Amino acid sequence: MSLPVRERLASGSGGHEVQRTRRRPVLPRIVSFVIFLAPTLLLFAVFRFLPIVGTAGMSLTDYKITGAWKFTGVANYERLVHDPVFHRSLLISLVYVGLYVPMTLVVALATALLLDRVAFWRGFFRGALFLPYVTSFIFAGIIWSAILGVDGLVNSALGRLHLSAIPFLESTVLVLPSLAMVSCWKGFGYSMLILLAGIKSVPNEVKEAALIDGAGGWQRLRWVILPMLRPTVFFVLVIETIAGFQVFDIIYMMTGGGPVRASYTLVYALYDKGFRSFDFGYASSIGVVIFGIVLVVSLLQRRFVGRREEDG
Amino acid sequence: MSAIGADQMLPVPRDRRRHRDKARVAVVCCLSLLTVGTMAPFVAMVVVALSPAGEPTIPTAWPSRLTLDNVTRAFRMSGMIRWALNSAIVSLVTVVLSLVTSSMAAYAFAKHKFPGRDAIFWAIVATLMIPFQATMIPLFILANDLGWIDSYAGLIVPMIANTNAVFLLRQFIREIPHELFEAAKVDGAGELRMFVLVVVPQLKSIGATLAVFLFLWNWNDFLWPLVIAQSDSMKTLTVGLSTLAGKSPLLPELMGTALVGVIPCLIVFAFLQRYLVESISTTGLR
Repeated sequence: MSLPVRERLASGSGGHEVQRTRRRPVLPRIVSFVIFLAPTLLLFAVFRFLPIVGTAGMSLTDYKITGAWKFTGVANYERLVHDPVFHRSLLISLVYVGLYVPMTLVVALATALLLDRVAFWRGFFRGALFLPYVTSFIFAGIIWSAILGVDGLVNSALGRLHLSAIPFLESTVLVLPSLAMVSCWKGFGYSMLILLAGIKSVPNEVKEAALIDGAGGWQRLRWVILPMLRPTVFFVLVIETIAGFQVFDIIYMMTGGGPVRASYTLVYALYDKGFRSFDFGYASSIGVVIFGIVLVVSLLQRRFVGRREEDG
Repeated sequence: MSAIGADQMLPVPRDRRRHRDKARVAVVCCLSLLTVGTMAPFVAMVVVALSPAGEPTIPTAWPSRLTLDNVTRAFRMSGMIRWALNSAIVSLVTVVLSLVTSSMAAYAFAKHKFPGRDAIFWAIVATLMIPFQATMIPLFILANDLGWIDSYAGLIVPMIANTNAVFLLRQFIREIPHELFEAAKVDGAGELRMFVLVVVPQLKSIGATLAVFLFLWNWNDFLWPLVIAQSDSMKTLTVGLSTLAGKSPLLPELMGTALVGVIPCLIVFAFLQRYLVESISTTGLR
């Protein structure tokens, strides 16, 4: 885009000429500032800050759908402490994160390392592996329900081989690994790209030096690439942990929190209490817990990355 | 890349080279397997969606013929077109409004000094740590008070504020050479003219990248439309398909609807894959 301004600047003339034709800006600077900032500030204040303060405030009330409420202090939190359903949802979220995060990290790291080793067809492989990331959990949920369901594709194939069906989504034991696997399928492409960029940023000289020293592929990976990749791996861990605690769409779509609340995670509990039971006060206190978890995980990363930078 | 470069540079003993070739074949085999695994669900979706409803299909039998019946029926199904239209309207309007408001604010943050600028900017960045779900109940009450339940305003306005957009655009505008602004100032351009003539033309590539991400986020978004869209005619595609799946029609029909939902994502991906991949690698945009 050629700018008249840039051309004039490049030609080096025009200073005086321009001075003479100078016009007064239509609006004083300070007014235009306000116009520039106002929409964004307003949107963030009303739709980001106000609601999080609102959640904290509402968690101290017994807010009902009618809008009637009274201050109840920490009653909702006391209820959380004694609510076995909440305890279970916290545990289920932790188990889910414990399954999803390592699974995603391993798959993403393995694919990133493999992609780093191919030159030919790399674009194709990278694109194909990344593809699920651009779809929605809802569409992914439809596809995977059809694959893993009781009458799904996998179980039809097993039936044809005269093997008994596997209740991927109907068994309380298998449901969380199945959901974690689907989330991993959909999400690992993002972490793969981040890790691949991290591997690329390991200086070639370092890799070559290791090669000259006679390091084999595995040794190079263990002693050269992985140590230098540590900050990137940590970033991926944090990002995926946060994503894991926020899981909802895929559960709504594939299991509805079941069977018998075996996939009833924290966010699912929030949705259930808030938008099915309309117990807004109590649901808000669950929201505060979710906010607290995400905040702690985020701050952990900041602290760790900050310290590393100081070291370096 | 580097390993290959090193190969060419160094004289490698023959047995070592043979070993290296074997390793390369193994790498390609592993990647091929992983790729097949990743693509299999899509392939299954397409095959089942194109199978005649009610007839045996994969994995028990190859469909006797392929047909678009399921896809056309999906379109004729109640609301499908309306939902897709709603998704398109909501996504596109949100993308445009996000880009306009964010770039204006980003310009103010990047090129002007005013009291509290950095504090306000970092406060906006800090909202990345607020999970959307934790704010949903007050947002819902707010939307209710504003009369926005079951309306486009309710679906769109709360989604306009986007931290990633503000942050990246501000970083980008900071890199625009100061001389351009000085020249425009000498020219007598006011802030508005300066923004339109100097800033906007420089934002083409980052704006396009952001537009793609914002589109995908909004097209794929589920939880907020789920609580806001109450009537059938205000549902977005994700919400509509989730209710449809609950009624569990035949598998081929269901896959036909999934195909309709996935196709826009695939189109975006097909044309802009390189763009998406590069911007994730360089900015960490999620």
